[in-house]
Amino acid sequence: MFKQIAVVATVLALTIPGVSQASRVKLGFINTITGAEAPIGENLTNGAMMAVEDLKKKGIEVELVKEDDTGKPEKALSAFEKLATRDNVAGVVGPYTSACANAVASQADKYKVPQLIPAAAKEEITQKGFKYVFRLNAPADVYSSVIMDAIMTQGKPQTIAYVYANTDFGISTVKTAQSYAAKLGIREVANEKYQKGAPDFRSTLSKIKSLNPDLIFMVSYEVDAITLMRQSKEIGVSPKAFLGAGAGFTTAQFLAQKEISDHVFSSTQWTDDVNWPGAADFGKRYKAKFGKEPTYHAACAYEALRIMGETAAANAGDRDKTRAGLKNGSWKGIMGDVKFVEYEKFTNQNRHEMLVQQIQAGKYETVFPPKYATKKAIYPFVRK
Amino acid sequence: MTSSVLMQAIISGILVGGVYALIGVGLTIIFGVMRVINFAHGDLMMVGMYLTYFLFTQLGIDPFVSVIITIPTMFIFGGIIQKLFINRIIGSLPQNQILLTIGLGLIMSNSAMLAFTSDYKILTTSYSSSSFNIMGISISQPLALSFLITAVITLLLYWFFMKTDTGQAIRATAQDREAAQLMGINVKRMSIIAFGLGASLAGTAGALISPTYYIFPQVGSAFTLKAFVITVLGGMGSIVGATLGGIIIGVVESVGAVTISSDWKDVLVFSIFLLVLLIKPAGLMGKSST
Repeated sequence: MFKQIAVVATVLALTIPGVSQASRVKLGFINTITGAEAPIGENLTNGAMMAVEDLKKKGIEVELVKEDDTGKPEKALSAFEKLATRDNVAGVVGPYTSACANAVASQADKYKVPQLIPAAAKEEITQKGFKYVFRLNAPADVYSSVIMDAIMTQGKPQTIAYVYANTDFGISTVKTAQSYAAKLGIREVANEKYQKGAPDFRSTLSKIKSLNPDLIFMVSYEVDAITLMRQSKEIGVSPKAFLGAGAGFTTAQFLAQKEISDHVFSSTQWTDDVNWPGAADFGKRYKAKFGKEPTYHAACAYEALRIMGETAAANAGDRDKTRAGLKNGSWKGIMGDVKFVEYEKFTNQNRHEMLVQQIQAGKYETVFPPKYATKKAIYPFVRK
Repeated sequence: MTSSVLMQAIISGILVGGVYALIGVGLTIIFGVMRVINFAHGDLMMVGMYLTYFLFTQLGIDPFVSVIITIPTMFIFGGIIQKLFINRIIGSLPQNQILLTIGLGLIMSNSAMLAFTSDYKILTTSYSSSSFNIMGISISQPLALSFLITAVITLLLYWFFMKTDTGQAIRATAQDREAAQLMGINVKRMSIIAFGLGASLAGTAGALISPTYYIFPQVGSAFTLKAFVITVLGGMGSIVGATLGGIIIGVVESVGAVTISSDWKDVLVFSIFLLVLLIKPAGLMGKSST
């Protein structure tokens, strides 16, 4: 039945080009709506919904089929198969987490459905030469390199300690951080993986305190970031800088913990004070609509869905043409310039420029790269 | 590694272990009296956490003070659950009991998700990250306080079981349900009291951990597993065993994290768990069933 409809639709689309449903398009959106990562997932949903509204204003009616992967790769896979075969979507945006996005990417070529990943960082996702897999955000290596570049403009740190969740994102980010730090001549003194959601980091932190590193580099989701920083204060860990790689260090909840979050650096895909077209406006509208600050996840999902929506609509929902459209197109929007290119080992990867922000007086301020900076970085860290 | 780091690890391990012990003691009381393994234990803890959260954010009651409200509320809640559900499956097949308690846990956690969404709730008190120093070892203020409260509760519990009539009746029920009944003990009432106690201990543990941890509907599952390990390690049904088990797990986790690596600490915990079960199958304080 579905196949027949699809065939009829394709025939119609081919025979009467232009009159075809250029303004209507069906897209899939896989996200973590429930489960442990749900609070970050919510930002992506919000961003995606705003994109759907904005596309409507431009005359593109998006029928968005939302799927929940609960943060589990196998659920993400079955969601993708459903979208590809039953819902017959023109393209898929998502999933959010690295593990889920990676699982889906392995199937995108098989089903020939273009997949645009908005915010998953694991490098290898766009290193396997998949034709139908595109990624908007910068991969894990940039999370670490950008923040170390920022610190190197401030001083000459000698030593570094890593504390990170043993997830795909945590492990791959730290791996790239290690090689980048080695290049910069920063010596590693501790490497501590932890179980996500652990209640007690005190012993790990006191071990790190005794090693007295200049930098502490952390990769954590959501509330682990808060628990880590709370206990760092408790133990009295005081490096020259706390570096957080995105995720848990860029949330409004983390910001709200003023006592412990001040002066923490974090790398981010997006802030609302950069001069990318529409970024400030997006931030304002988001705040008005949802009553809280948008995270970079929201911006990534918004831009990914906008690009996918426009491209799919321009190609009348044809999967192969949409893929070609993504491959050859370029965009300018709230995430700056977007173009999916081949470089180093990556394919279909947008060379997104990441930013470094620091919490100063209870606000996220962009401090690096200089051309986007709104405030000067505060370094070294001083505990009040 | 210096000795101060090790000392630090041992002390924070003992402090965290205190809260673990509280969870374990609740589970062990329920098992001892009813021979029912309560897989909803972590979810009862979650209910206690939300209770604490709302008492703090809505009424401004400090989490540690709110224990006074949490204990009786959770006692009544546990009692009702016992009377309505658990009571019907006492003495039935173990798998039925397990299914029932898992089901109750799922209902609790999913109701919480429906009511409060899956958002993390973070309880920020003025002392959430405060500590004091004793000989170069920093001790978390909220953790020290919760350890103190745990110690007081455990002592009270011990006194209750040893000295009061009801306590002795509960112990008698735990030893031999039929014999206790023949001696004129109202075993059904004892079961309600035992489950109520178990629930209020889980709720209290939730309340005590709230200022330093975070709250979300699925928080229970991790602690159910922990409680189970603690109880089995200490010997099912033994209060002293559960207390000991909690502290051992706390210290092993914490010392394991500094001596080996934090991602190996669970391996260490479960290795010790297996080792104890191999050498003493009934657990540290357990009496082997005859």
